Amino acid sequence: MTRTPSSQTRCAFAAVLLAATVLSAPPALASQINWSPQSSERLVKLPPSYLKKSLDHDFQKSSLGEALSTTEENISLKGATLSDLQDAIASSDGDVRLELRHQFLGEKRAYLDMMSERNALRRQQLETKRRLFEDMLAHLARDEDLSPAAQELIKNQDAAAERFERTYADVDRKFFTSTMATESRYAQQFNQNLQAIEQLVARIESHKMSAAPTAEDDLPMTRKEHLRRLSADVQAELSIIEQEETMLGYMAKLVALDAMALAEDGMDAELADSDAARTLQPAKSVSFFLDN
Amino acid sequence: MLKRSLKTAVVMCTLSIALTATAQAGTLENLERERSTTINYFLDANMEPNERLARVEASKRRLLDMERMVLRDKSLRGKSTPVVRRAFSNYDVTFLAHAATEKDLSMVDNWLEQFDVSTDALMAAKVGRR
Repeated sequence: MTRTPSSQTRCAFAAVLLAATVLSAPPALASQINWSPQSSERLVKLPPSYLKKSLDHDFQKSSLGEALSTTEENISLKGATLSDLQDAIASSDGDVRLELRHQFLGEKRAYLDMMSERNALRRQQLETKRRLFEDMLAHLARDEDLSPAAQELIKNQDAAAERFERTYADVDRKFFTSTMATESRYAQQFNQNLQAIEQLVARIESHKMSAAPTAEDDLPMTRKEHLRRLSADVQAELSIIEQEETMLGYMAKLVALDAMALAEDGMDAELADSDAARTLQPAKSVSFFLDN
Repeated sequence: MLKRSLKTAVVMCTLSIALTATAQAGTLENLERERSTTINYFLDANMEPNERLARVEASKRRLLDMERMVLRDKSLRGKSTPVVRRAFSNYDVTFLAHAATEKDLSMVDNWLEQFDVSTDALMAAKVGRR
């Protein structure tokens, strides 16, 4: 198949334009897309095993979650398009191949834009999550940061509770034997309810949703440790995104180089077909001067 | 279906948190009122000894219940107000009925003991002029 000069020029020009834009295109990100979970008392008190699921659910409902989901879907479709184009290029030649290569470059650029946009959305999600965990940790620290008076009070309350538990049965025995009194309505009701409460507490403790989160070594973690662990996981994901962005940068560079190569191929073909005068070397025209 | 079950779970979680956070307001105030009445019986010079004994015994029973309510009141834990701090600073004074029964003392003896006054010391005291 022969290449027409006009299509070659068009391809070369488009490829150069593509190369120029692929490295400079900023990710398109609408500022109104967001996710704003609040570090509320409710969130801090949620069972650790449920916290992550609750956050994920909240994120999915947000505009940021919806945007990320749409972008992921588009990336998947774009990947299929790229794969189809790659196969088509392999089985074509001539102008069609050049057109397909040009189209392939354009699609690769669009794919990179989408990946870049997805990373920006994921970064936004992870930064929000990180801030949220920091707020929750600060919330917990505030609760634990007791004044000396409050610490003294808790110490006294613990001592009182311990003394009460230790002497409770003894006090009952002494009181009822000395006065011949019967248990008050409160005491009767309390003892009755206590058994039911103990059964409920046992069920709560064995419930899978109230199970304490565990570390890799199966040791239980406190709420604070669990939050720190979640925060560290978010930080790790952010580092991975940074690495992915570097990778995308290299991909963009390759697309730009491919575009330049495509432009050069087009120009070479055009020059080969052109009638432009070539510079003749003097040595090649010697024969003109040797004969009359 | 998933959305509905998650919504239900969130509502139930919130409900359980709200229920566990419900404070039993006023347990300490009720105890303080009853204790104050009991101490008035101790000190009321116009009351006959038998009447005092009967009233104090009836108070003791109520105090036992009220003291238990305070000791079991989770809303008071770490509630650093002057009233709560003072209440837990001396078990023998605040939880008068428990402390007295525990030590096999009458409530009035236990109460006076907290101020370094015993029945024997009172009986041995002589009326005089300084």
